[in-house]
Amino acid sequence: MIGVLSYLVFFSTVAAILSIAVLGLNLQWGNTGLFNGGVAAFFGAGAYGTLILARPAQEAQFGGFDIPYLVALAGGMAVAAALAWVVGRLTLRLRHDYLAIATFGVAVAFENVMRTTEWLSGGARGVRGFQRPLQDVIGAGLTYNLALLAFVLVLLALTYLFLERLVASPFGRLLRAIREDETAARSLGKSPARIRLTAFVAGSAIMGLAGGLYATTYAFISPQDILPILTFQIWAMLIVGGAGNNRGAILGAFTIWAAWTSSGWLLSRFAPSEAQLYTGTIQYILIGLVIVGMLLWRPQGLFPEKLVVSQSGRTNKPTKAGSVPS
Amino acid sequence: MKIGRINRLAGVVLAFALGAAGLAGGAAAQDCSVKVGAVLPISVDWGQPIAEVAQFAVDQANEGGGIGGCDIDLVLRDSQVNPSVGVDAARALVDLDGVELLIGAVSSGVTVPILTSVTVPAGVMQISCCSASTALTDLAANGETNGLWFRTFATADVQAAVTAQIAAEQGLESAVVFYKNDDWGQDYGARVAGYLESMGIAVTDSIALNDAQPSYRAEITQGLQGNPGGAVLVLYPTEGAVAVREWLSLGGSQTFVMSNSLRSDEFSEAVGLEYLGNALGMDNAAPRVPSADAFVAAYVERFGSQPNGPGIPNSYDATMIGLLAYAAAGPEASGSEIAAAVARVTDPAGTPITADAAGFAQASEILAGGGSVMYQGATGNVTFDENGDVSAPAVVWRFTEDGTEEVRYLSLDDVNGIVAGN
Repeated sequence: MIGVLSYLVFFSTVAAILSIAVLGLNLQWGNTGLFNGGVAAFFGAGAYGTLILARPAQEAQFGGFDIPYLVALAGGMAVAAALAWVVGRLTLRLRHDYLAIATFGVAVAFENVMRTTEWLSGGARGVRGFQRPLQDVIGAGLTYNLALLAFVLVLLALTYLFLERLVASPFGRLLRAIREDETAARSLGKSPARIRLTAFVAGSAIMGLAGGLYATTYAFISPQDILPILTFQIWAMLIVGGAGNNRGAILGAFTIWAAWTSSGWLLSRFAPSEAQLYTGTIQYILIGLVIVGMLLWRPQGLFPEKLVVSQSGRTNKPTKAGSVPS
Repeated sequence: MKIGRINRLAGVVLAFALGAAGLAGGAAAQDCSVKVGAVLPISVDWGQPIAEVAQFAVDQANEGGGIGGCDIDLVLRDSQVNPSVGVDAARALVDLDGVELLIGAVSSGVTVPILTSVTVPAGVMQISCCSASTALTDLAANGETNGLWFRTFATADVQAAVTAQIAAEQGLESAVVFYKNDDWGQDYGARVAGYLESMGIAVTDSIALNDAQPSYRAEITQGLQGNPGGAVLVLYPTEGAVAVREWLSLGGSQTFVMSNSLRSDEFSEAVGLEYLGNALGMDNAAPRVPSADAFVAAYVERFGSQPNGPGIPNSYDATMIGLLAYAAAGPEASGSEIAAAVARVTDPAGTPITADAAGFAQASEILAGGGSVMYQGATGNVTFDENGDVSAPAVVWRFTEDGTEEVRYLSLDDVNGIVAGN
């Protein structure tokens, strides 16, 4: 029984961390229409940033700042935001598929830089030496994992509330206006380039937060963690959950991560023994089928975006029929 | 009609009776079972034989009596060569299936997070067939593995020492090192450079090559600058062939020292045999001992092909040693008790036992009596050092008209001598 609890705690921690990354992508794609194909880079920037800032001094390794954990986590977000700012300044004039290709290239480059700069990132061996905060006090057992889950859930809730407020605000309206028709937004005196950059940097900082938490959970990060498959996973979560809806983003993250992991567990338990060797392949097929099925039968996602007129930020007051949207 | 119904009824009763008999029979042979977890990249082509042979070892152990009379149930999970998926699988095995012994993973990038975030905190023993990274040695040396970690694959350090030794025997005075830019290559490349220097061979440069590039002209040009007497190639066949062709066309020396990964026809055909006359390679070798031959024979009988593939004998030994230690510690043992029992099954002074069902049965008996055994496996007499690492014999090889031929065999003692001598 304690084992089930322990596993569920671990599963929820990872799923909640991935949810935060999906929320970041939702701000970029769901709300602003920015096709970020390099999620792994910003996730990785947060992860590497956090661990490198927080770890104690190590032989032949950059850093040794031993910064308090929360500051390092914020530092990781800042690294992701800084990377996003540079990338955004260079590429945000690109549209849709061009932006996707450019950001995908950034992610591949980022992974290769981390793989090569041994003095900074430990190279392909990954960053080690990081101790999870308060582990000496709490110990490494279930209590610690529960505390970590609580911490992650608090950050997920804060991110969610922040984004909900943001989306409902005039700024959120502006994001959607740019997504729908940039020329129209410009004609109203708005500056789409600046707003797009803001949304891109904010979304990437949120992905960086997710990366920092992910690296904290494992006390380790290596280039193998930030391969393009991660970008694909985050995208699949957003598409299945429902682009443009923050609750959908969270539900999508839990659904896809559950499908990804439980399929392996179910197969290992129930597949006949002669099929055990092929469960890996079967698992890939099942994951693909879930995604294809969603795209075919519910392309708007589990929680579709609620299309709103501009005053729906105050939905608790029913708007009078015929009132003029400002 | 009535008769038909009675017949059907009789049939149902008979079926129940048979079923009950079957259940009873099953229960008698298997009144308890012990779960052992494995996280291996079974969705990857080269990962599947590694898992197959692990299952083979489990089958033999069951035939030899299982663990304290309990049947061993291998729960196999796919790592997808992805750290987060692999860690989740390991977590599920430890938490949901309650395993105390975990076999895996293959990639060091998956093995390390499983070790640090799952098995060590949970006190579960972990043994890997195939992770070569020296990062794992460092973890063990820093006391971060609590003695729960073992592997049956020689580290990159051993391979690098032999590679450097070959370079010395080829009479090189200076060399450039080209290495594949991943954890294996970085490790191997850095260590081979270190051994070369300590053997008095100047390393003019160490250059990383990324996978799947159409050309390495920039890297090769850089490598030629120090005018090295030869090149040490720690590469895979695809990028190795591209790099060597460019190296030769730019006027590089034809003296090469190659890692085991280049021992492939693909490489020699792509480069051209006439340019590889002065190229020698190293490879880990199956030891020249009867137990290794016995493994090959058993493998051929079971699978109908030679165990030609990375990590197959290592996977067999990792599984067998884990199970023997489990048998020594008993079916109720915790992970740390199993890990502590590893010394009793790899005791050089113990009774030698063979790697098959009969050997497992014999070992179980001796271990139950409090004795110790020396497991003689597919990779020879496995002994772990204090960090859970093993050494392995090596061969020196070169390309010939029809494949490769062995130039020289370095026994385990020879290899250990080279590593210790530098």
